[in-house]
This record gives sequence, C-alpha cells and structure tokens, in this order.
Amino acid sequence: MAVDNIVYLIPILPVLAFVLTLAFGKKLPSGGGYIPILAIAISCIISILAFLQIYKTGIPIEVSAHWFSVLNVGIFIDPLASVMLLMVSFVSLLIHIYAIGYMAHDPGKPRYFAETALFTAAMLGVVLADNILQFFISWELVGLCSYLLIGFWFRKPTAAAAGKKAFLTTRVGDVLFLAGIVILYSSMRDVFLERFPAGIPDGIYLLQFSTIFENISHIDPTHLTIITLLFFGGAVGKSGQFPLHVWLPDAMEGPTTVSALIHAATMVTAGVYLVARTFPMFIASPAVELAGITIPATLTVVAYIGGFTALFASTMGLVMNDLKRVLAFSTISQLGYMMLALGMGSVIGVAAVGFAMFHLINHAFFKACLFLCAGSVIHSTGTNDLREMGGLMSKMKITGITMLFSSLALAGIGIPFLKIAGTPIGTSGFVSKDAIIVEGSYVFAHMTNDWIPFAFGILAALLTAIYTFRLWFMAFTGKPRQERHPHESPATMTGVLSILAAFALVFGMLTFLPFTDFVGHTYDHEEIHHLAVLGGNHVIDHHELHDVVHHASPIIFLLPVIVGVGGLLIAWVIYNRRWVSVASIGNMQNPLFAILAKRYYQHEIFIELISLKFTYGVLALTSEFSDRKIVDGIIDGISSFIIGGAEVLKKIQTGVVQNYATATVLGVGLIALILSFRGMI
Amino acid sequence: MLPVSYYLIVAAIVFCIGAYGVMTLRSGIMIMMCIELMLNAANINLIAFASHFSQVNGHVFVLFSIALAAAEAAIGFAILMSIFRSKNNVNIDNINILRW
Repeated sequence: MAVDNIVYLIPILPVLAFVLTLAFGKKLPSGGGYIPILAIAISCIISILAFLQIYKTGIPIEVSAHWFSVLNVGIFIDPLASVMLLMVSFVSLLIHIYAIGYMAHDPGKPRYFAETALFTAAMLGVVLADNILQFFISWELVGLCSYLLIGFWFRKPTAAAAGKKAFLTTRVGDVLFLAGIVILYSSMRDVFLERFPAGIPDGIYLLQFSTIFENISHIDPTHLTIITLLFFGGAVGKSGQFPLHVWLPDAMEGPTTVSALIHAATMVTAGVYLVARTFPMFIASPAVELAGITIPATLTVVAYIGGFTALFASTMGLVMNDLKRVLAFSTISQLGYMMLALGMGSVIGVAAVGFAMFHLINHAFFKACLFLCAGSVIHSTGTNDLREMGGLMSKMKITGITMLFSSLALAGIGIPFLKIAGTPIGTSGFVSKDAIIVEGSYVFAHMTNDWIPFAFGILAALLTAIYTFRLWFMAFTGKPRQERHPHESPATMTGVLSILAAFALVFGMLTFLPFTDFVGHTYDHEEIHHLAVLGGNHVIDHHELHDVVHHASPIIFLLPVIVGVGGLLIAWVIYNRRWVSVASIGNMQNPLFAILAKRYYQHEIFIELISLKFTYGVLALTSEFSDRKIVDGIIDGISSFIIGGAEVLKKIQTGVVQNYATATVLGVGLIALILSFRGMI
Repeated sequence: MLPVSYYLIVAAIVFCIGAYGVMTLRSGIMIMMCIELMLNAANINLIAFASHFSQVNGHVFVLFSIALAAAEAAIGFAILMSIFRSKNNVNIDNINILRW
C-alpha cells in the first residue's frame, strides 16, 4: 500500500529540516523555523495516514532492509508505535509553532530550530525502530539533542552545567541499556546457533523485535531477567525515575519550549516506550536467584520504582518556588505513574500497556500545555519565581484559563460513577489516572494482596492536586506581589495553548475505550498469557478484570476523586484564601518543610557525597595518583634516562671534520687489527 | 727490479703522513694537500701491483684516480674559497657549526 512506501519519510524529513535550517537558517525569516514546521507537519500527516491504515486493517506496517551480518534496519509500526507516532509528531508540531513566537527575540534561532528538528527526528526514530540496535542509536541521538538544547544558552554557567548533568545522568542508564543489548545479542545468538549449528542463515535478524519476541521462551530465564532489568535501567535514566531523576529538574535551564518538548513529546517518554515496546520480555522475566541473591521479577521492580517515584517527586513539587521546577517534579511523578501502570502488567497483562500509553498521551497534552502556559507567563512577566507573581488572571485570560484546564487534567479531576456509553466523564488526566489506580493497582492489590503500589498511587494523586493548584493559585489569583507589566502572548502562542487545553480536557473522555482496546492489540493476548507463565505471573483476562472492578467497593472509585478535590481545597485554603499562613508552614524551622525544600538532601547525597567524596575523592584521586605517580613515573623515568644519555652522547658531535676523520681512521684501524688477530688465532 | 714490498712500504709511509696531516693540521689547504698524498699513496700501490703482475688494469685505474683527484681538488678549493670569503681564513677549527 501507499503508506508503506512513504513511512520512512517520517524521521527523514525532520532530519532534512535539521540540515537545511542549520545551513540556511540565518538567511531565512524567523531563523528558518518554518522549515521544521513544514517537515514535521508532513511527518504528522504521514503518521495519521499510517495510523488510519493500521486502525482499519489491524495489520502492522513492516519495512525492513538488510544492514550487515545479522542486523537490519527497518520500520515497524504496530498500534503501540502508531499512537506514539501521532502524539510525538503532533505535540512536537504544536511546540514548534509556539516556538516561532516564543523564540522571536533570540539570536540563536537557527540553531534552536535545527536542534529541535533533530530532537523530533531522533524521537520518531526511537518510535519507528524495528530492532533494538536502531532503537538504541536513536535513543542516544535523543540524549545528545537534550544535552544541546538544555544547554542552549550555553553562555549561562547554570545552563551548561544542567546540560552536562542531564547528559551524564542519562548516560548511566544508557550504559546499562547497552549492556542489556549486548547480553540479549549473545543470548539470541546462542539460541540460533543451537538451532542452526552450521551458522545463522541469511534473513534472520537477531535484534529485530519480532525475532526476539518469538524466541523469548528459548532464552535462559536468568539472562532474561538480567536483560530486562538492564533495559529498565536505561528507562530509569531516560524517564527520570528514582534514583536517576536528578537531571530533570535542572533541565529547566533550557528555553521553556525545550522543556515542553522534553517533558511532553520526546525524551522522557522514551523510557516508558522502551518498557512498553519490550513488554513481552518484561512479563516473561521471573524472579531468579543469582549468587545467593534473589532478584525479584522485573515487572515488580518496575511497579515499585514507578510508584515510589510518583510519590517521592510529588512531595518535592509541593515546596518548589520556581514555576518550571514544580512542573518538572510533576513530570517525574507522572512518569512514575506510567511505570507503575506497566508494572501492573504482571496481573492485568496487555491492558497495562494500554493504560500506561493512554496516560502517556494524555500527559503529553496537558503537560505540553502546562509548560507552554508557563512559557507564556515567563515570557510576559520575565520571572520564574512564583512568589513574585500573582493576579495574572486579569492580564492573561487565555493563558490563565488554558492553564486551569490543564491543571485540572494533571490533578485528575472528574466525576466518578457517571459513565456515558462506558466512558467516564472527566478531564483526560482523570480518565487515565483513574484507570491506572483502579483498574491497575487496585486489581493488582486485590489479586496479590499487595497494597503498596495502590497506596503510592493514591498518596501521589493527593499531593499532585495540592502542588498543581498551589501553582495556579499563586500565579493567577490574589494580588500582584511585584510591580510588573504582564501582557497576553501573541496568537501563535495562545492558539497552540487553546488547542492543547482542549485536548487536555476532552481527549481522555473521547478516546478511552477505543484507545486502550486498540493499543491492547499490539500484543497477542494468548502469547502474553503464555509468556506470563514463564515469568511466574498469573495474568487475569478481560472478563476477570471486569469482574474485579465491578465488585470493588465504591470507596475505591471515589478515592482518586476525593484526593484530587481534597488537594484542590487544601491548596485553595492555603494559597488563595490564605486562612492558614504560608509562612507558618513554609519555614525552615518546620523539619518536614526543610527536608522537602532541600529536596531530601539529594544535592548533598548525589553531588557532594557520591560525586565529590566518593567518585572524585576516592576513585578519581586514587586513579589520578596511580596515573601521575606510577604510570607517568615509569614513562618519565624512561624518557629522562634517554634524555640524560643523549646529553652525554651528543658531545661527540663536535662539528669539527677532523675529529670525525680521526674516528674513522681509528675505527678502520681497529677493524684491521681485529681481522689480522682473528687470522692469527 | 725492486721487489714490490719496497713500493708498498713507501706507499704506506706516504699514506700515514697524509692521514696524520688530515687529522692534525689546521689549515684547510694543508688538509687538501694531505688528502692528495693519501690518494697518491694508493696510486703507488696500484702501479706497483700492475707492474708486478704485468697487467694494464692498474694503470687504467690510476688514470681514473688522478682524474677524480683533480675534480675533488677543484671542488675542495672552491669550498675553501667561499669559506675564506666569509671568515677571512681557512682555519678548519672555526668551521664547526654542524655541532650539538
């Protein structure tokens, strides 16, 4: 079909836009920003066509070509990839349009647009990859672009440092991911060499997803668990999960549009996508015992890390005064929800992928909207600090209202129990978070009696609502706390905000059932059940899931909304009505506030203890000592011996020809003597 | 007819005088002359053996050798001339710029 022949253009066009913008951007209006917009718009249209075709036929699009040896390059679009594609290209397109207005006064525009185009291309490459190696290459490109864009204002030392921090922190995850790929490759090679002792025939590509999934049952379970844990390590780095989340709040140093791009469309969702993409491997990984240590099943690790991150990050979001940092912590927290949802896969199977992806897409809309609203606020007030804002609603109506809508979505406000045609009524955040908490972690708790993920989810939802509305009340209501002259942003910016806010409000309601059903078709249910048995997981089927949810106590359904509205009210009481003095809670005498404001002393632990004391003080200085004194000492010794010897020997070179003549005569005489004596002996 | 060893002894003496001169003398012109001495000592040997073995090869070779010596003297004196122009003497001890 026609679409199959042009899908390769989806990542290629933004790459071309990158080259063109970099080369000619300076001579074009708006720094050449229209080139990436055009390219990504075409990519977006092709993505829509691909999506429609898959939606209609249910057959994934596969294009593959031989690369070398047992590796290939190719494009694979199944339901999972197609919805990701739509989201990435669409949100990225909107952010690019917005950036025309936002970056209007920046001299570095061509570089900005070139890099964001490459960023988008890399992310599309991640989504489209049909083998894990291509996935990894695009994944690394995403990391590179994030470094370039976070450090976009590289003359600002904090921005340069933030870029470096993001790069190095995600690099820890990338190394784990690469190690996982290496182990996977050797395991797959063993599997095929056993089957074809004479050598692997042509046309079998070891790292292709379809080949891997077909052979999961042949891979050694211990290896599988190690591989998936290493993959998850990569996802932890990219998606900012605990303990590699430290780079995300600092990533705010880049332009706000970059933050929106990183947090919504590209980069952080790559980690979640990786777990969703290799979900069959994750669900088949059992708990194993290795060298006396019991390693839990990978999905359990995913669920716990995700749940913990959701709660942990939201507590820190409560006390941040930087508008963008609050949003950064909320991103970490929402990514935690996605991981939590994927972790629930050990009980609810493929439905977990559906819920996680659904939350990912909804999150992309409302988080892009929140960030772009924040950008609009920063653009007009010139400050990031919430304490200096206030009363912006009267000056910036569109920004205020769109931000309110997306905040409602982030806090997950909706109407429980009311369902029209099986669809819940509420903001998109409500629909997807509700699905994760009720149909994910509640069902998980019901089946396994493990209530910890559920508790993580509920507590994080409460805190999310509090910090979200704290942000909104502080910025948009009350009296202006500082003399500033805010103004509404230009139409390219507010137009994009309105579109995104509309999506944040209604996308969830409109698409919940068809979406999860469609994404659920990514993997064959029978096969997932079979693999789950390998992993020691008991997966319940659709009807059982429905039964459990149906018989759940009403309090379970009410709880997410109660905590959402409760959080809203708490924020309203403290930050709008100010019945409780902010200063009485938010001072350093309050130990709880102090620990949050200090971000759990992460800076002290990660930077000063681990980085400075351990890595620098112990490892670096030891290796420096051995390098300087021992290795360099040997080399310096050899060279100074040779230099000293040469100092002595060079005196022979007197430059006087007669000395050389004498030496020659003496030498010849000596040879003559030796020869004549040898003759005598 | 004198035995060939007489010629060889004379040649050896002449050669040693030449070699000693090359090694010890200061003046460039004297050194050139000593080199001629050494060449001529070799020529004497060639002639001596040529007449001893009644062969013409040695005579021919000496002619080459003399031609070579002439060429060498021409070049050598040209070099000494240019040294003299720049340094105002031909004292070999002063020509030691190619040193450490």
